[in-house]
Amino acid sequence: MAHPSQLGFQDAASPVMEELLHFHDHTLMIVFLISTLVLYIIVAMVTTKLTNKFILDSQEIEIIWTLLPAMILILIALPSLRILYLMDEINDPHLTIKAMGHQWYWSYEYTDYEDLGFDSYMVPTQDLTPGQFRLLETDHRMVIPVDSPIRVLVSADDVLHSWAVPSLGIKMDAVPGRLNQTAFITSRPGVFYGQCSEICGANHSFMPIVVEAVPLEHFENWSSLMLEDA
Amino acid sequence: MLLTIRKQLKSHPALIPLFFFIGGGAAMSLMYLARLGLRNPDVSWDRKNNPEPWNKLSPNHQYKFFTVNMDYSKLKKDRPDF
Repeated sequence: MAHPSQLGFQDAASPVMEELLHFHDHTLMIVFLISTLVLYIIVAMVTTKLTNKFILDSQEIEIIWTLLPAMILILIALPSLRILYLMDEINDPHLTIKAMGHQWYWSYEYTDYEDLGFDSYMVPTQDLTPGQFRLLETDHRMVIPVDSPIRVLVSADDVLHSWAVPSLGIKMDAVPGRLNQTAFITSRPGVFYGQCSEICGANHSFMPIVVEAVPLEHFENWSSLMLEDA
Repeated sequence: MLLTIRKQLKSHPALIPLFFFIGGGAAMSLMYLARLGLRNPDVSWDRKNNPEPWNKLSPNHQYKFFTVNMDYSKLKKDRPDF
């Protein structure tokens, strides 16, 4: 989850998010280098007493400052496109979960084998137990087996919502009447938080998403328990 | 016109990288549009002989331009034939 005064991304919990993190570091480093260079040139131009009014053109420097930015842009574009195609690959999921957005809660349906469905409401602030996170916890979490490719089909029941979990690198709009597909694989067990990312009314900030990745036996026990409760 | 361009390029060689990159970008955009028009299964040019190409998708064909980790020709086909 995010922590106070956080500047960077949350720790990655999926391989795609790791790739995104590395790409961001790579691109940000290029941006910092260019900005530092430009700032240095500005300061140097402004603080010098030397003047030269008679240089009209120079072919060599023009070639350099056309080629160099083009190379830098290619250096940014190639990893970017690679990650874009990587995120879209269909990777033979083990489990398909439907996440439906409602005003103002999410509902999850695991219908591959049995008919398991439940709603996921935010825990109100006055009902939090010590150690729980304000505005992020839900009464039922979306439990998934760790290290397995999961497909999530996202849609909505009423207005636009968006199903987002930053540490997995996922954001998928929930559009009424439309089925959007996203897939991910968690590389480590844990609890991953996200919040609804499309304005949907009064309680848009109060419909979080919690994904809990557990070993397969725990997932099987959990789903049997949930089926009995339903 | 090409002769004028070549003459002017000789005295301004800095324009050569410009032609290269702008020309390359334009070529890539045109290739993208051509691929979209000709290969996209959502596009039907011949309504009589190929009316609904989006209904003829194959499970093993790679529709994206580039794959990093997937080999679509090796996917097992576990769906019924129509």
